[in-house]
Amino acid sequence: MTAPVIVCSTGTEAPEEAEATLTLGRKVAAASGTDVRWLLLGAAPDGYADVARRHGVAAVDIAGGDGIDEGDADVLVAAVARYWERSPGQVLVFAQTFSTRDIAPRVAARIGAAVVTNAVDVDAGGDAGLEVSAAAFGGDTRVLYAVTPGVACVVTLQPNAIEPTAADGTAPEPAVEKLDLDLSGVVRGVRVVEAARSDGPRLEDADVIVAGGRGLKSAENYQLVVELAALLGGMAGASRPIVDDGWIDSAHQVGLTGKITRPALYVAAGISGATQHVVGCTAAKTLVAINTDADASIFRHARYGIVGDCLEILPELIRSARDRGVRR
Amino acid sequence: MRTVVCVKEVLDPDAVGAYAVSGHLEIGDDAKTLTQTTIPRLMNAYDEQAIEAALRLRDGGADTTVCAVSVGADTTATLRHAFSLGVDEVVAISPPAGVEVDCHVVAALLAAFVRDRGADLVLTGRQASDDDQGVVPALVGEALAMPVVTIARAVDVDGTKVTVTRVTPDGDEVAETELPAVVTVSSELGEPRYPNVKMKMAARKVTPEVVAPSDLSVPDGGLQPLLRLERQWVPAVAGECEILEADSAAALADLLIDRLVDDKTLQAGGGRP
Repeated sequence: MTAPVIVCSTGTEAPEEAEATLTLGRKVAAASGTDVRWLLLGAAPDGYADVARRHGVAAVDIAGGDGIDEGDADVLVAAVARYWERSPGQVLVFAQTFSTRDIAPRVAARIGAAVVTNAVDVDAGGDAGLEVSAAAFGGDTRVLYAVTPGVACVVTLQPNAIEPTAADGTAPEPAVEKLDLDLSGVVRGVRVVEAARSDGPRLEDADVIVAGGRGLKSAENYQLVVELAALLGGMAGASRPIVDDGWIDSAHQVGLTGKITRPALYVAAGISGATQHVVGCTAAKTLVAINTDADASIFRHARYGIVGDCLEILPELIRSARDRGVRR
Repeated sequence: MRTVVCVKEVLDPDAVGAYAVSGHLEIGDDAKTLTQTTIPRLMNAYDEQAIEAALRLRDGGADTTVCAVSVGADTTATLRHAFSLGVDEVVAISPPAGVEVDCHVVAALLAAFVRDRGADLVLTGRQASDDDQGVVPALVGEALAMPVVTIARAVDVDGTKVTVTRVTPDGDEVAETELPAVVTVSSELGEPRYPNVKMKMAARKVTPEVVAPSDLSVPDGGLQPLLRLERQWVPAVAGECEILEADSAAALADLLIDRLVDDKTLQAGGGRP
């Protein structure tokens, strides 16, 4: 049998993204007549056995311990490489996060595999062998890479690229094994001397997000975004350019290089809709775009659009929302 | 101390994006090459910031030379730009003949260059703005068994220790490691300097040193690509946006709130007390 597809979760991904990688893994395994093994690094998430069964996972391997649980990159890379030595696969899939984007290429180097990040799909089983589609140019184009035959591939799956779906029918209970990987010789080369502070509510968990971009014209006007967000019981987000310009700190940044959000309502005010931003908000149930440019790319992703100046619209939205006492 | 900055020449991503969004991006007969000659070629902006980080170290008193290196068939313009910014040395590594170079081959060449010529600090952009892969720095670090610290907004060197302020989704993190190390630089480093006229003039006369793959100690198999680009296209987006229309900002705002209440995205409350 062909080597299995290995899906690796590090606990840094949202549950939906873990399920998206299992959905992709199942597709690739079915196309190449093999199984999915799910490698869980760190504390196994609640309900993992149900998730595994729903996705027809053949085996769940759980590895934790010193360094793995803290998410130390050197330890994670060594852990996955060691796992691969005892249980090699043909494809290794990570959900793409800030952390996995670092470890995936390093794992690939250790195990002699190819690596593709920003992946949106993987195909196997055709005449062409293993093929990976990925976003390029900030998402403005897609590219298709063919993996050299006989070479394994490590991919990080871009958020929101694949809709998680359960397997058809009932799958047997997966075999669960707690692994004891020997990581005693691993050198931790990088010391974190000051951890990122992530106290307080997280954009990733917000039910309503009002986000602003360059269309706000000045840092002071960001207050409009903050005010509307607060009125609706939500949080304020930002596009990359205004974070780069220092109007607001990067904890508010939505997009491929910021937060991947899934609110019920996302209001994009004065944001043109660069693909790198849109990746972070297209999972919103309802996306509202306000932009002066009727051709702005953000309208292609929106449910409701207002062609107009957000500096005129936002104060009226604040008034209207306040008058009617609307909330999520 | 020696700092090597790896730079890549890319198609201007803003121009590519503008053509892609307007539906006018031209892709060649090979179904993958972007052919519009009106799209400028320039140095990857993140790599420009990596050069800036190196120059700030030197300006700040670090006793370091700065070498810019690039892999590609004709990287003269990009390397001259690097020189005009103030690097001491510019090197072009020519790609191996008859090979479609992928990230693994590029990383093998850069790692061999660093191994052969030496470097205490390898700086590069967090990713290239064309393929956005961001894997070469990690592959280089692994090939050289150097620690890799990514997404820097600030880089400081003190003796053999490098301290990196990283931009993470949860805010800034400060990490340190021992040299030699690979550090990737993000746009949060801040605006890179502009070359002055004198340096621009001087750069015009500079010819980068050309290094062939055979001049470098690339390990066996290092020049075999693991990936081949097959196709490139512009993804379709399914739009279903309802553009709201009304004759004033106030009416537009009321209409939007109506829609959001009607579709149960929001709930109407008791109004203003």
